[in-house]
Amino acid sequence: MDRRLGATDIRVFVGILIGLVIVIAVVAVIRLDTTGEKGSGLGTDFEYNLEQLGKIDPNLILFEESAKPIDTGFETTHAISIDSHGAIYVAGDKVVRVFNDGGKLLNTIELPEAPMALTVETIASEDSKSENLKIYVAMKDHVEIYNGDGKSLASWKSLGDKAILTSIAVSENNVFIADAGNRIVWCYDTTGKIINRIGRKEEDRNIPGFVIPSPYFDLAVGRDGLLRVVNPGIHHIEAYTFEGDLEFAWGEFSTGVKGFCGCCNPVNFAILGGPDPAGADDSFVTCEKGLTRVKIYDPEGSFVGVVAGPEQLVEGGKVETCDTPEECHLGGFDVAVDSAGRVFVLDTIKNIVRIFSRIEDPS
Amino acid sequence: MAEKSKPSPDRRQFLAEAFRYAALGTLGVIGGAAFAKRYRMVQDGKCVDSGLCKECGLFEKCYKPQVWQIDPYKCIACGNCATYCVLEESAVKCVQVYPVCGYCKICFGFFEPEPHDINEGAENQLCPTGAIKRTYIEDPYYEYTIDESLCIGCGKCVKGCNTFGNGSFFLQVRHDRCLNCNECAIAAACPSGAFVRVPADRPYLLKEVEHA
Repeated sequence: MDRRLGATDIRVFVGILIGLVIVIAVVAVIRLDTTGEKGSGLGTDFEYNLEQLGKIDPNLILFEESAKPIDTGFETTHAISIDSHGAIYVAGDKVVRVFNDGGKLLNTIELPEAPMALTVETIASEDSKSENLKIYVAMKDHVEIYNGDGKSLASWKSLGDKAILTSIAVSENNVFIADAGNRIVWCYDTTGKIINRIGRKEEDRNIPGFVIPSPYFDLAVGRDGLLRVVNPGIHHIEAYTFEGDLEFAWGEFSTGVKGFCGCCNPVNFAILGGPDPAGADDSFVTCEKGLTRVKIYDPEGSFVGVVAGPEQLVEGGKVETCDTPEECHLGGFDVAVDSAGRVFVLDTIKNIVRIFSRIEDPS
Repeated sequence: MAEKSKPSPDRRQFLAEAFRYAALGTLGVIGGAAFAKRYRMVQDGKCVDSGLCKECGLFEKCYKPQVWQIDPYKCIACGNCATYCVLEESAVKCVQVYPVCGYCKICFGFFEPEPHDINEGAENQLCPTGAIKRTYIEDPYYEYTIDESLCIGCGKCVKGCNTFGNGSFFLQVRHDRCLNCNECAIAAACPSGAFVRVPADRPYLLKEVEHA
């Protein structure tokens, strides 16, 4: 009787064991991740996380988005400029499109190749009764000039294969062109003749030379008559005379909000010249890539506040602007300002223009 | 004399024949699929999915052995390469393409996003395994090289370099290590479809110079 009972127990035990093995096998197969859905399983030390760094104290944000973003309709965009009447010029694909601030398309200028940068000059007629527009468009290696109707006025000589033109500014009879490929600023007269080269490394003149790791190299002329040029590799904005003497520079590396982050920033900037919206005339609006931030600095380079941080510029509260290398490569946003002190940010990934106005009472 | 009619196969015979042919066909499909995983038509240096060989009309000259590689323009550096490889130490490593590198003083593929100081101290480095070496060249330029014996292919530096720099750091399957499995475990786990087959005589997909 006992023996029979013992035999029964062993069979039950073997049955349970086989059942357990089957259950474990089924669970193991179900848990097996062959599609990567469960992630790498690496610890937090292996994660690249900018979330905390991208958060900006709301008290530092001085601007707010004041209008619906303008959809430019481009597949790729490169530069934005605003004329004295507030028309918005966006260069992308092989076209310059002109919009009003409501996003209505006003004009289109077809280009022979992809543009890199543009600026618009307003020229008063001799009797001061009318105005003419001159639109300077920098291609990769040369400049094309158009009138307000989109008629081609001139095409300047190529600067060679090595040239990568990234910014253009006009002041009186001088046209300044930033060339990231040659790491120099070319100074032309308005007929297209080169009259000076600015920024070549010269220790005797205390000029450090431009350090440009990626094709972002911006410039603008201030109302004080000095040319401002970004030296992105050393996180500086440098002030040069038109003769090429370095007067002073400001800017420092910092991932914190007061400095410029990453290897090479700011990528673009604009100078607020109209009625002062940020508490200091001629203050600078800078734009950084990586940790996308648009900020205001006073003319001496002291941090004033933030126009928009990653949380305002990247949808869904994400901090990182880009996922794929292609998106990251396009991720250097451009900025422009109008005479009312509004800041226009060209999102070169989504190809839209965002408009920001000063918050009346930030508190 | 009336001709004796040929007996028609009975149902059992018919089913047995059908099963044999179906089994043969399945084997052919499996064999073909296995062949297609390892060999693909290569024309003008690129893999093509269909079409006859321009040279011979068959596969003798055009079908060439394939190996796995990562398309650096699709890779999002998710970290799966470090852990899904069947090898104990992943065959995927970070590589550096020097013509694309900006030789930055403050390289965000090398430094933590918020470094304590700009020097090679371990606390300032982004790479958890210390696989990147920083060498001074001339002010303000530095060279960055990967020590493959330390790199586990996690892609953390790739993310930093893509986000802030030129993207000169990126992941590649190193063919001195890769077993070239028919069903690559990392390829199956790749969320961005960056794993592709490339001709074995051109086994790397390198980034091109797109900057100054």
